[in-house]
This record gives sequence, C-alpha cells and structure tokens, in this order.
Amino acid sequence: MLKDPKEYVNGVLNKDRLLLARTITLIESTLPTHQALAKEIVNQLLPHTGSSVRLGITGVPGAGKSTYIESFGNMLTEMGHRIAVLAIDPSSTRSGGSILGDKTRMEKLAVNQDAFIRPSPSSGTLGGVGRKTRETMLVCEAAGYDVVIVETVGVGQSETTVASMVDFFLVLMIAGAGDELQGIKKGVLEVADAIVINKADGDNITRAEVARKEYETALHMLMPASPNWTVPVLTCSSIENRGIDRIWETVLAHKTALTKTGEMAEKRKTQALDWMSFLLEEGLHQWFYTDSQVTGSLPRLRQETADGLISPAAAADCLLDHLKNR
Amino acid sequence: MSEHPNLQQWKDLASKQMKGKPVDALDWMTPEGIRVKPLYTAEDLENLDANTLPGMAPYMRGPMATMYAGRPWTVRQYAGFSTAKESNAFYHKALAAGQKGLSVAFDLATHRGYDSDHPRVSGDIGKAGVAIDSVEDMKILFDGIPLDKMSVSMTMNGAVIPILAGYIVAAEEQGVSHEQLSGTIQNDILKEYLTRNTYIYPPGPSMRIISDIMSFCSKNMPRYNTISISGYHMMEAGANSVLQTAFTLADGIEYVKAALKSGMDVDTFAPRLSFFFGIGMNFFMDIAMLRAARFLWHRSMSQFDPKNPKSSMLRTHCQTSGWSLTEQDPYNNVIRTTLEAITAVLGGTQSLHTNSFDEAIGLPTDFSARIARNTQIVVQEESQICHVIDPLGGSYYVESLTNSIIEEAQKIIDEIEELGGMAKAIESGMPKMRIEESAARKQARIDQGLDVIVGVNKYKLTDEKIDFDVREVPSSVRDEQVSRLKEIKETRDSDAVKKALADLTSAAQNDGNLLEAALPAVRARATLGEISDAMESVFGRFVATTRCISGAYSSEFSSNDDTIKSLKKRTADFLEKQGRRPRLLVTKMGQDGHDRGFKVVASAYADLGFDVDISPMFQTPEEAAKMAIENDVHVVGASSLAAGHKTLIPSLIDELGKIGGDDIIVVAGGVIPPGDYDFLFKAGVKAVFGPGTPITDSADKTMTLLEEKYL
Repeated sequence: MLKDPKEYVNGVLNKDRLLLARTITLIESTLPTHQALAKEIVNQLLPHTGSSVRLGITGVPGAGKSTYIESFGNMLTEMGHRIAVLAIDPSSTRSGGSILGDKTRMEKLAVNQDAFIRPSPSSGTLGGVGRKTRETMLVCEAAGYDVVIVETVGVGQSETTVASMVDFFLVLMIAGAGDELQGIKKGVLEVADAIVINKADGDNITRAEVARKEYETALHMLMPASPNWTVPVLTCSSIENRGIDRIWETVLAHKTALTKTGEMAEKRKTQALDWMSFLLEEGLHQWFYTDSQVTGSLPRLRQETADGLISPAAAADCLLDHLKNR
Repeated sequence: MSEHPNLQQWKDLASKQMKGKPVDALDWMTPEGIRVKPLYTAEDLENLDANTLPGMAPYMRGPMATMYAGRPWTVRQYAGFSTAKESNAFYHKALAAGQKGLSVAFDLATHRGYDSDHPRVSGDIGKAGVAIDSVEDMKILFDGIPLDKMSVSMTMNGAVIPILAGYIVAAEEQGVSHEQLSGTIQNDILKEYLTRNTYIYPPGPSMRIISDIMSFCSKNMPRYNTISISGYHMMEAGANSVLQTAFTLADGIEYVKAALKSGMDVDTFAPRLSFFFGIGMNFFMDIAMLRAARFLWHRSMSQFDPKNPKSSMLRTHCQTSGWSLTEQDPYNNVIRTTLEAITAVLGGTQSLHTNSFDEAIGLPTDFSARIARNTQIVVQEESQICHVIDPLGGSYYVESLTNSIIEEAQKIIDEIEELGGMAKAIESGMPKMRIEESAARKQARIDQGLDVIVGVNKYKLTDEKIDFDVREVPSSVRDEQVSRLKEIKETRDSDAVKKALADLTSAAQNDGNLLEAALPAVRARATLGEISDAMESVFGRFVATTRCISGAYSSEFSSNDDTIKSLKKRTADFLEKQGRRPRLLVTKMGQDGHDRGFKVVASAYADLGFDVDISPMFQTPEEAAKMAIENDVHVVGASSLAAGHKTLIPSLIDELGKIGGDDIIVVAGGVIPPGDYDFLFKAGVKAVFGPGTPITDSADKTMTLLEEKYL
C-alpha cells in the first residue's frame, strides 16, 4: 500500500493531515523498505524545513506536561500559529504494547484544526528517539507548522537527546515538599533554557514561589550554557491559564537574543553536525554488526575471549580486520 | 481461647473426605481479598458484637425499628426515554401496575447541560433517558402526577440546578408548594469524577452547588432528600464490594464536611442524606455489605457529634447490577435480577430498582419493564420474606463477613482521610486506579472462565436469537425537541430571560444561592442549556484526565496461558512484518461517560502487545476521525453504551472517508442490540462486540481482520 515518494512529499507540502501522518509512520517503522522510502521523502522535503520555532518540553511524571501543552498550544493557535506536538510516550508494558493517552489531557488542542499531535511509543523503534523525532520534526516544519513541540518524560535518557535537537528546552516542575531537586537529574537542568514551576494555583501558590527561589539558587551554581542567555525560573498555572503568555514571550526573547548574536545559527549548525556524527556512528554500528563475516566469527571470538584463549584486544582487531581488508 | 472440641473432629472428618488434603484447601479468596472458609461456627462470633437491634445504633440490622414487618421497601423503578410525553405515559402505566414511587432517567444531553439543539449531542437525544430542555418539558413529564403526593427521585448530578429548579417550578404551576415536595435528587458529583463522568463544572464550584441545594432545601423543602450518595456506579465500573462501601462512605463524609464548612448545623441536613448501593451476584457478600455500610456510617458520623439519631442512620436505595446482565441467552437475566433483588432485601434496603432482562441489548420495553417490576413484587408479596427483620442476623457466616467488610473498608476510609479526604483522594487518582484495577482483574477472571457467567463463558448457546421486541428511540425525537425549543424562544419575554440569566451569573460570581437564583430564570422559560451556560461562564467546564493502568489484566492470567501467549505472538509477528505494532484507537463518542469498558479494553489490548491510543471523552465523530488519522491507527474501536451507535458510528465512518482514512478498520463494542448488527455491517463496521465478549475473543477477531488486510 506504499505510494511513490513524490505523493508523500506533495501531500506534506499541501498540509494534508493524512499523508503527513503516514510519512511519520514510515519514519517510525522498523522495516528497511519503509526507512528507505522515509529517507527519500525527508531528503526531498529538506529545502522546506528550518523555519519553525523548535521547542522541547520535559518534566517529571505528574508535572502536568500535557495540560501545560493544552493551554500553551491553544494560546499559540489563537495568535495565528500552527503547531505540531510530538509526544514520546514511555508507558510501554512488558508485552511491548503501550497506552498512548496524551490527547485525553489535550482535549481542546486535540480537536484544534491548527494543531497536529502525534503520540509515539518510545519502544520498538530502531535508532531510538533521536533519529525518528528529528526527522518527524522536519516533516512537520515542511507541512507548515511554525511551532514544533517535542514532549518527553524527564526520567530517562531521552531529554538530552531532545535538547540537542531543539532551539529552546523547557523543563517543567511542580512544587513538592522540600525535595524539588530530587527526581530530576542535574544533567537536565544543565540543558534547560527555562524552568517553569507549573500548578501555581490555589493553595499551591506560595509553595510554587518557594520552589522558584530554590531553583534560582540552584541554577546560580551551574555554569551558564550560553553567554547571551540567563536561564529564568518562572511559575504558571495551566488550568487557570496564568503565566502561559510570559513563557512564550521568554521563548521569543531567547530567540531574539541568540539570533542577534549569531548564536542561534551556530546552535543549529552544531546540532546538524552532531546529528551527522550520530547517524554516522549509528550507521557504522549497524553496518558492522550486520556484516556476514562479523556475524560469522563474532560468537566464536566472544567465547574464546571469555575462555581466555585470546586477548580482548586481539579479538577486536581480528573482527575489525575483516572490514579493513575489504 | 481453646479450640472448640467438636471443630477439630469436623476438620479431621472433612480432611478424610478430601483424601487427606487439609480443609483449608476449600478456602475461597474473594475479589475483595477476604478469605472465606467452608464453615463458620459460634467461635467466629466470639469477638464480635453482633447482638444489636434494628432502629437503634449502630443500625447494622436496619435503620427502622420494624423494617419490612411494618412496611416493605418501596418499589421504585428507574425509567425515562424519548420525549417527556412518552415517559409520562410510561409512568402512568407503571403506577397503575403497582409501582410506588417515580424515578426519572434523563438523557445524556440533559445531564451534561446541553439543549437538544446543541451540535455536540445530536446522537444522544432521548436515548438513555428523557430529553428535558425547559420547564415546559418538565410539566409534560409530570402531567397528571400529583407532586404533593408522589415522591419523585431524579438521577441528576451535572445539571442539578436547572433540573431541580424545573421540578420545583413545574410543581408551583401545579399549585404545589415547596414544602410539600418529597423525593430525592442524586446530586452526588464526587462519584461522577470517579466513574460516570456526567459532570459539567470543576469540583470546586460543583461542591458549592451541592451546599447551595442542601441549604435551600433544609429551609424550604424539609421532606426532600438533597443527595443520594451513590456506590452503584462504582460497582458498575468494576469496584468490588469493599471498594464500593469505602468510597461511597468517604464521599458521604466529604459532603458532610462541605456542608459544615458552609456553616450549616449537622442535624439540619444529615437526616436528609440518602445512599444508593449497587447489588451484584456475590450473594452473601452484598447482604453483608449493606449491613456493614450502616454500621460504618454510624461510626463515621459520630465524629461530627450529631444530636438527632437520624443524622447517623444510613437509608439506602438499591439497584440490581447492570454489569451482571448478559446479551447472550438473555432470559437468564431474570434469574440474576431475582437473586440480586433478594440480596438487597436480605441486606435491608429501603427501596429497590430491579433491572429489565433486555438491558444489555437495548432500552426496556413495556413487557420487560413489567417483568422487572414484578420480580420484586413477587418477592415482596408472595415469598413471605417480609415478616422477620434482618433474618440473617446472627448467622455465623453473615456476621463474620459483615465484620470483615467493616475492617477492610475502614482501612481504605482511613487511607482516604490521610490523603486529606475524598476530594483530594480523587485528585490524586487513587480511587479511580483501584476501581479500574479491580475491573481489569474481574474481566481477566471472566475471560479465563474462573468467574462463571452462564451463557457467556460456560453453557453457551450455539444458536443465539432474539425472540422479543427491542425498544428503539426514533431520531425524530430530536426534531420534536428542537421545534419545541424554537417555539419557546419565540413566545417568551426575552428581556426577562436575559435579566434572569444575568442575575444567575452574578449569583455565581458573588456567592448567591444558585438554586434560588435559578428559579426566576426557569419561570421566565430560560432553557436548561442557557441556565447551565450562565453558570459555566463563571465556573468553566471540567475536562477529565484519563489515566489508564496497564498490567492488571494480564497479571490475572497464568504466565503460560496459551490464548494470551498466542495473541502476544501475533502482535509481535505483525510488528516484524509491518514495521510497527498493530495500533488501535479506542474512542467514546456522544455524551455517554461510562468509561469502564473502554479503559479495560485499552489496558488489556496494551497487555497483549497493541499500541493503544485513547481519545478524550465526549467526542464528535469528526473529532474522533481527526485523531485516528493523525495517530495513523490501523483500527478504531468505538464504544457505545447509550444507544447512539446507529447515528454516531456510521457518521464516524463517513468522516474518516472524507479525509482519506477509508482504509482504517472500524469495530464497535458495547450495548448494541443484535438486530442492529446488520445495519452496522452495511455501514462498514467490520466487527461488533456485544456485552460480555471476552477480550481474548475480540482481540483474536481484531487480529484476524488485521492479518487478512496487511499480512
């Protein structure tokens, strides 16, 4: 049921929801034929990409990410933007299946004609979050979405990957009982462009303010990642729709500051190079481990290494020589 | 305490009969986690205080001193469908045939505060209850029914203000004053957030509405029950009897606290609190549940120090379980309902609804409603059960089981108190998760045949056919309602309506009593939708968070169950050949908020290796189609429990076609009359899964459809 790449390309450029969705499915597929087709499509779309604001949003489970995106996204579409949300859902079960429930918390955005939301299970795809999300982001840009949001849960490794593909990385937190800094890795704070304390509403307002100050202090101890940007700590209430507009202003201010100094162009260049290195490593890795000579001798050499019959270095050299001698 | 001398002898004897196996092997672990032994003796009562009296604290044996010996329970059948005129005719027939009180069912549009001409509700009008748009409909509904004499129960939780005000004004126009009115409004919003989802506003304003109603009625309608704290819907959502007891009482405690906080004295409102329990097929368990609930309510209320004994007396309505009804071999449902009716009676209920045998198939007809009503009338008037109060009081087993429920439920009530009360607990998601877990486990036991359901997973009929009529509500009901709305809007004084609605909005902003403020609007012929909107403009409309558990379904199966293993393998094969797992969107369209079925399905399918997308509740077909396309699913499963399937599902298929998704497979599940299957197949539905379909069967069929199409 696959179509000619041109059809997908034209569909995406004509903002066809169905063909955009099906292109993303090809990108996410584990089948080599699908991947080849996806690569072809992405390549042809490349000239039409690059013009969106790329936003990463992460936060611990329960921080209210989906509810935040619901408020934030609807505000943006009211301003005239078209937004795409790529939600990476980690809720896979042992069987490998998953429950993708993000849209139940984005009730209005889910039915908004100016929004495209795509939840994806994090498991079972080759190349992991990095490859498929980057390409999906590009395809959404080509389809005319001028704000692309990548949502991920802040408990795994995926957030640094996401940070390395977006312009602005927002970390969503909630006020807890004095243990704000627990549960989120220091590494996540290092890549944050803003920290937002969500759920600053009702009897939570004071606690949110206390948490805000604590984060400010914590950030002071970190080396700023950019000379042109001081990471702000903000508060907001997604359910009461307060403080959401200020976050968008912050994103724009960041963009202006970094564009003026040339840092934004530099950042995207670095990201493209990083991505190329990543793909190169991934390709080499895959090439190596699927090579028939390698797969032929790998089990034997592993066994001999384990039994002490050959040194690990000699075993590795032996395998690498297969390729060098081509 | 020394071992009863004969008990050891009995154990030896029993063990010998079991060829040497210990007698403990006969113990049964109930879904509530209570260990039930094969024999109870006087020893089991030694530490229990079972020797209490009815009509006296702690009311374990019944709230009234004479119970049914003095006056039997009230036969109160819940009914309503189509227009007010049709429902009114139905009520007149039922009252002539021995029914004692009225109980009104409203359609889903009414529940959610929408007029019949609202675009979101086109599939719901008059389907699961009667459509009410204004006081004119209310007057027709109660035409010829003297509201000063007839007690009227109304199942309404979302649009309580316009409905209760409509009832009051309809009575006024009959010449009946406020203080003459007697009956009950369900008005139990907390459980809506938990299970049934027919709310309108967020929890804060909703709790305020309840306090406003309590306060208005305590002053003006002293014979009216202002709330019916309901466990029924929790049971229907899959809660076991301990969960039902604990969560219902915890809801009750929360309402008491809210009323006290608004400045009322406990004895002014607590005597008007009533309860509503669901009765399932676990016969002794649910008898014990009602006894335990009365004991626990008395104990819980003592913390508020009431002076009036009625303040801590639990009075309850009961309804037989809808979940226990099957579409397969449906006459068996008469037997199930009879058993459940006797359970409720032995448990000491104050009023009772007995379900119609055809409710897993469609709306009750005159015939099935008569059988349902007579089920309890026969028990009441022919069986001689009524002469003795609490006839199982003192039974070793029932007393012991009552005590176990008290202990287990109290633990959960304490846990909720630690979370800061039921409102906070609901926010935390704890009660909902427990109920859903209980539901998924039950489904898994049914699918494995561990819980037997005759005609479904055992003694199945090879040739199912429906040889009785099924009621269908014609779509012309909507046209009728819409034209009446138009007429009302043309003939009323629109300035007066505008002013009354502005006053209501201002009362919402400024802490006025909302019921009182709604009365002038109703008198001026403001519609139900307009009144709801006037408050919504201040309060907003609540959007639920859907959470879904995973793992509970498959954990009830043994790890090498062949059915499960083979389905997992098929989803894995699909992944290998198609590059991704089979992806399924489960969606609920229309205003039906019963989400147990669709969540159990989501959770179980994920356990079987599907990627399952869940849609928000209350979707229109167009919205569901957009989501199916964006998420690029292989299959859409549409759940329908409220008779909207004939409009909503074909319309979904249309919408999918419009945006290029005609290759997406559509299957349907829920309460769908077999007579409608062909209609749905012709509309393009590929499979229909009726109530009681084991999930393993539906997943097997779905996988077959996918394999035929893609592999």
